[in-house]
Amino acid sequence: MSNVHVQVTPEQAAKDERFLEAREQKGTERYIVRHSKQARITHGVTIIACILLCVTGLFVFVPPLSQAVGADVVFVIRMAHRVIGVVFVAVPLVSAIMAPKGVAHIFKNLFAKWDADDKKWMILFFPYLFMAKWIHMPDQSEVKSGQRFADGMLWFAGALMGVTGVVMLLGSTVFDLDGGVYAVMLLLHDIGFFLVAVFGMAHIFLGAGIFQPYRGTHRLMFGDGLVSESDALYHWGHWAREEIASGKNVIEK
Amino acid sequence: MAEKAILFDTSRCTGCHACQIACKCWNNLPSPTGLNENKFSGTHQNPPDLNGQTRLIMTYHESEGTLPTKTVQWAFGRRACQHCTDAPCASICPAGAICKDEATGMVTTDNSKCVACQYCSTACPFDVPRYDGVQGTINKCTGCVDRIEQGMPPACVTTCQPEALAFGDRDEMLAEAEKRLEMLKQRGYENAVIYGAEEMGGLHVIQVLKYGVEAHGQVANPTVSPVTTLTNLMKPVTGVVSGVTVLGLAAMFGLAAGYKRDKVVYNAETEDTISLITGDVVKHGDGQDTTSVKDHILENLPGKKGGDHE
Repeated sequence: MSNVHVQVTPEQAAKDERFLEAREQKGTERYIVRHSKQARITHGVTIIACILLCVTGLFVFVPPLSQAVGADVVFVIRMAHRVIGVVFVAVPLVSAIMAPKGVAHIFKNLFAKWDADDKKWMILFFPYLFMAKWIHMPDQSEVKSGQRFADGMLWFAGALMGVTGVVMLLGSTVFDLDGGVYAVMLLLHDIGFFLVAVFGMAHIFLGAGIFQPYRGTHRLMFGDGLVSESDALYHWGHWAREEIASGKNVIEK
Repeated sequence: MAEKAILFDTSRCTGCHACQIACKCWNNLPSPTGLNENKFSGTHQNPPDLNGQTRLIMTYHESEGTLPTKTVQWAFGRRACQHCTDAPCASICPAGAICKDEATGMVTTDNSKCVACQYCSTACPFDVPRYDGVQGTINKCTGCVDRIEQGMPPACVTTCQPEALAFGDRDEMLAEAEKRLEMLKQRGYENAVIYGAEEMGGLHVIQVLKYGVEAHGQVANPTVSPVTTLTNLMKPVTGVVSGVTVLGLAAMFGLAAGYKRDKVVYNAETEDTISLITGDVVKHGDGQDTTSVKDHILENLPGKKGGDHE
């Protein structure tokens, strides 16, 4: 939000003053429920599996690493990569089966139509990353436009890694995969890793609150799943106002 | 040491399998020897294709003969590593288990380094490297570099009675192949060709193919698959882009150091978003933003209207 303040009528100003006084007397703050416990657990397990998969995968992807630790260690790492890969694929699938409405909600948000604020937010995003102290961003719905794009890429890359990984795993154990098909799977797996590496780092930078304007966002997935009223208004203004007005998912503490 | 090559003249081959057996003996590669353990696959090739414990097989290509006295035409072939100059198996191997022997040009393997990823199998245009499930490593012809280093020819060459196989400096083998090709042409084998002189940057198995490339089961115009090229490209691309991303994120972190913003709250009754620090209303309602992109960027810069955002 801009720091240019808005003129309101004296009646409104009086109401706002009473609102602030009442709030101060209560001594509580409002929080909005952002992520369910199941979503947080699924995200947590998946992200740990993803990081471990990236690390173990590097021992095959980066030749000097592979050669530094030797064939026996790499073999163990490769087997670990397969086991962790099963967790990476299975946990989100099980979670999705347990909460199909949640999955529908995620994808509804991912493919939501972009309004004027969404487009403007996306245009301003890169300047904002370097000039966050000065640029205020337009309000956003439940999932920011850039977040939709980045999360969508992570979903896509994760699915690509999962599918190609399972095909390669089965193709070298259960059945004999044709060499040409295996080569294509390997290339797609590498492309998936490229996307996960780039978008994953950006996701961690913002989502874990390493970027100062995003401080505290790690609590949304690794804490209690609640977002403070102030942070919600800053990050997802349209969504926050809607939630606060309805009061359905608002907690005071 | 000059570049070496194996010369295989199909016109002299009798399909006796001796080379195949010599390879197995020298490299200590067992074969199934139990009663009826080798199932008949409908071909004289035995085993029907390369496998984890068979680095070299003789291939038998049968077709209708053109002469009344020869109703069946046999085109014998050799199926094993061709020891490419531009060996994609070596370039894709992450463990350095497959590498070119600089002294001879042969593409050799080091099983102690193999991590069994089988990427080499996907990259080979001749579909040669095979996974040995028992050893847990890849298996393919090494060119008998161990023997060459001791001044001996490869095991398969040593045993070839009709002298279809020869070994020596690559230039000499190519010159010998030219002579034999000329002889075959004079005898009326118009389809006879030399294979391996230019393919894949030059192979280190030079073949004189009496009936042409396809007739002997060889790959016409072998090339490195674009998929393999792209896979090799992914490593540096991922490294560079990831590095740039880290640098970019570090710059963003540095530039945002000391960032602060006012706490705000929302009064649903008046639809006002209010700063808790100043008590000012910073937004009324929930309408779409009306400020231009340019103003978004410039309005809070020091010295501009609105002043510093901090």
